[in-house]
Amino acid sequence: MSTPTQDPNEPPKRPHVYDGIEEYDNRLPNWWLWTFYLAIIFAVLYWFTWYSAHYGTSNEEHVNKAMAQLEEAQLAALSEINNETLWQMSQNDGFVAKGEEIFMSTCVSCHGADLKGGIGLNLVDHEWKWGNTPMSVFTVVTNGSPDKTSGMQSWKSQLGPEGISQVVAFVLSHHTPEEMASATTLNTPIGQ
Amino acid sequence: MNQGNSPTTTIEYNDRAVRYFMLAGIIWGLVGMGAGLLAAFQMYFPQLNLGLSWISFGRLRPLHTNGAIFAFVGNMMFAGIYHSTQRLCKTRLASRALTWFHFWGWQAIILGAAVTLLAGYTQGKEYAELIWPLDILVTLTWVAFAINFFWTLARRNEPTLYVAIWFYIATIITVALLYVVNNLQLPTSALHSYSIYGGVKDALVQWWYGHNAVAFFLTTPILGIMYYYVPKAANRPVYSYRLSIVHFWALVFIYIWAGPHHLLNTALPHWLQALGMIFSLMLWAPSWGGMLNGLLTLRGAWNQLRRDPVLKFFAAGVTFYGMATFEGPLMSIRAVNYLSHYTDWTIGHVHGGTLGWNGLMAAGMFYFLAPRLWKAKLWSQSLANLHFWVAFVGILFYVGAMWASGITQGLHLNAVSDDGLSLKYQFLETVQTIRPLLLFRAIGGSFYLFGWGLLMLNIFMTIRGAEPVNGTVEVPASDVEATRQTEGTIGWIGTVFNWPFIYSAFFIFGLLGWIVGQGLGDAGDIIQVLGIGVLTLTTLTCIVHFQVTGRKWGEWYEKLIGNWIPFTVLTFLAVFIGGAIQIIPTLAVQRVKNLEDRVQVPYTPLELAGRDIYVSEGCYNCHSQMIRTIVPDVRRYGDYSRLGESIYDHPFQWGSKRTGPDLAREGGVRNNIWHYDHMHNPQEISPGSIMPPYPWLLEQDADYAAIPGKLKALRVLGVPYPEMTPEEVQAQIDEQAQGIVDSLHEEYRTADKDKKIVALIAYLQKLGTYEDVDAAQARIESSKVLE
Repeated sequence: MSTPTQDPNEPPKRPHVYDGIEEYDNRLPNWWLWTFYLAIIFAVLYWFTWYSAHYGTSNEEHVNKAMAQLEEAQLAALSEINNETLWQMSQNDGFVAKGEEIFMSTCVSCHGADLKGGIGLNLVDHEWKWGNTPMSVFTVVTNGSPDKTSGMQSWKSQLGPEGISQVVAFVLSHHTPEEMASATTLNTPIGQ
Repeated sequence: MNQGNSPTTTIEYNDRAVRYFMLAGIIWGLVGMGAGLLAAFQMYFPQLNLGLSWISFGRLRPLHTNGAIFAFVGNMMFAGIYHSTQRLCKTRLASRALTWFHFWGWQAIILGAAVTLLAGYTQGKEYAELIWPLDILVTLTWVAFAINFFWTLARRNEPTLYVAIWFYIATIITVALLYVVNNLQLPTSALHSYSIYGGVKDALVQWWYGHNAVAFFLTTPILGIMYYYVPKAANRPVYSYRLSIVHFWALVFIYIWAGPHHLLNTALPHWLQALGMIFSLMLWAPSWGGMLNGLLTLRGAWNQLRRDPVLKFFAAGVTFYGMATFEGPLMSIRAVNYLSHYTDWTIGHVHGGTLGWNGLMAAGMFYFLAPRLWKAKLWSQSLANLHFWVAFVGILFYVGAMWASGITQGLHLNAVSDDGLSLKYQFLETVQTIRPLLLFRAIGGSFYLFGWGLLMLNIFMTIRGAEPVNGTVEVPASDVEATRQTEGTIGWIGTVFNWPFIYSAFFIFGLLGWIVGQGLGDAGDIIQVLGIGVLTLTTLTCIVHFQVTGRKWGEWYEKLIGNWIPFTVLTFLAVFIGGAIQIIPTLAVQRVKNLEDRVQVPYTPLELAGRDIYVSEGCYNCHSQMIRTIVPDVRRYGDYSRLGESIYDHPFQWGSKRTGPDLAREGGVRNNIWHYDHMHNPQEISPGSIMPPYPWLLEQDADYAAIPGKLKALRVLGVPYPEMTPEEVQAQIDEQAQGIVDSLHEEYRTADKDKKIVALIAYLQKLGTYEDVDAAQARIESSKVLE
């Protein structure tokens, strides 16, 4: 067994040397110890307050509350949207331009740049799958198609009432109230 | 001591094995990192998937992770452990046969893994993808390694165990425990199996494993290596022996509890989330203890850093370790995790650890070893210095890009429109925003890999034509004698009946009472109060006892490190407790009868076939199936995922990264045609998407013949399938597949009902389908599955 050479100016070394490796036995730095102690104290407090005492709202409660508030706000926004306002929007250049922007980034891959369809339906013919009124179109975009395996997805959370009304206004700008009223509806209309 | 009077024996070390492991580590490093670099470029240029199944991202990424962890760091670690352990024990490796079985077994596993992973054979659990026959080989090889290692300890000629050895011991026993428990599975064929755990249980076990694979495969062995090679290379004493003791035991005890921080804000029960977070925070100081001992050992050697590349690599490696172990606890705070989880921030964090800590420590060790294992000088010091700077810049590029990308995408995904009624960005838009950063990352990775090329050149030129040398040592008979006398001095009674052990035992009992009592309702209150009482009393008594009486633990500990068996047993207990307290109650409690609201509807045979394809293609590498209990997730993907909604998923597919959107409620969102076209060519439907194309799914047949056997296996695991004959199964498959084929035909897509795409569509359309607990209970009763 080899023993270390001790320099009197250095801190004491451990009595043993491993393959030439010597060891000091310095005290643990105080800041390090306190980091450790404080983490432990925090852990105890956190366990008591967040877990044991359920202090504050849980994630689930928070989400449920926030989603209820969101739904309320969305419903309020929807109350201003009806067939008439949608037709008005479709006559407004600013609204239609915003709707076109959304259409060309979001809808174009299925409905085509000319709106004549692809994976999605043709939006400029005289046939409507779920109703020939602006609100029917609005409802389908909002909630998605009732036909889940061959229809469209819901865009409610991604576009919101405002975005949806804009994109519907863009689609309606390719139609007139009279022409649309005379078009055929294939299924029981929704969202009159 | 009296070496002059004592006769000596010359021992020659088995350095040949060290050379083999080292060269294997260097070569596999190139392969593992090369696969990572290709995967990184695929994320910017999805065309690089080439439409080829075996090179597509979902299969390549597991090859990268497994290759970097087990092939690169694995071989590097074995080289370091075998080299340093022989010297720290002054003895040759115990068994030549075991050493070579270990080496060739490990290389065979790596080759087997490379072939099977690229062919799409996987368990579908991260860093545990290897199929069951390979798992058995891993276990056998690891056992050979363990026997060889402990046998070497038993034959040592050095009375006590140096701190590096403690870390090696912790590595060997903990990896064995983790690997075996996480890989328990029920084979359905020679190449396929289902995890015996489902849903939340699988998630918990997997991340107990995944987190501690980082801890005990990528951290503890490298800390051991640090403790040997840093003082050796710097020729300086280790800073503090008592810091070694405190941080070693704190690290091994605390690390194992922290796994659930990978599942924060998910459906995981709150008590586990709380433990995951607080134990991660408590881990910060013990981790930094290792960094401090490394860096402070370099005190007085800083001037050598300028010219010695080995020390440069070590100093930077240890610094990156400190950075990663500060960032880890930070990201484990639930509020931070809210933003960081599922983003590139996690990827940046991991690579700070792997490229910075593992990679730089490996390079430093290889540069240190090459001139010592061969009779040669390092070919070029300046090339090694260049490697250091190239690698360093590469890491900064990589990590910086991932931080920016992760935080940006996290913020964008959470952003809402001005009126607050809709989300501000669609998922694809956030991907477009971070794409330049994905390119930066790949450039950083290129730098790093280029640096590795410099290392390969340098080491090749160093050893070319050089003569291999094996180290020797003169062992005085007095050392042998002293060692034999130390071993056995403590005994079992001495191990257990002493104050440090008794206090620790009481402390842990108190802790367990406190945590377990919490979950037992009213009856548990007493246990809880008792637990807290014992905990407090033990802590106070302990402080008073040692402070007032001035007693020290040192004497007992000195004996303990002279006795490898008690030391190993205590280490095992320290790592066992944290996992057991989390996993055992979860396995016992999380059953349908204890669930509260929603329960998953089991997959039909066709959907199950589709799910196996989803797992096999590695979709979970980019898509999560877990809507967290946070508002942005719920707004984007729908109501948060309930615990019961994945309870029959063997393996679970909650995922860890959202390169693409969450799929937990994908069923019924988009139509069959969309999925068909999207799988064929994602960019056509989602311009700017970085998802690889899957054209082979439209051409290859699904393996329907295997489904009856798979259903049987799942029944054994408790999924409530009624008993069905193979003909009944086939009839169900045909009927459902025909419906999908018909819907595709309506829009002029041709697909035969045997094709993989049909099964995959069936699976995707099922995601998020649930029923209430009563219906689920009735299903279990009618299926006669014992839950």
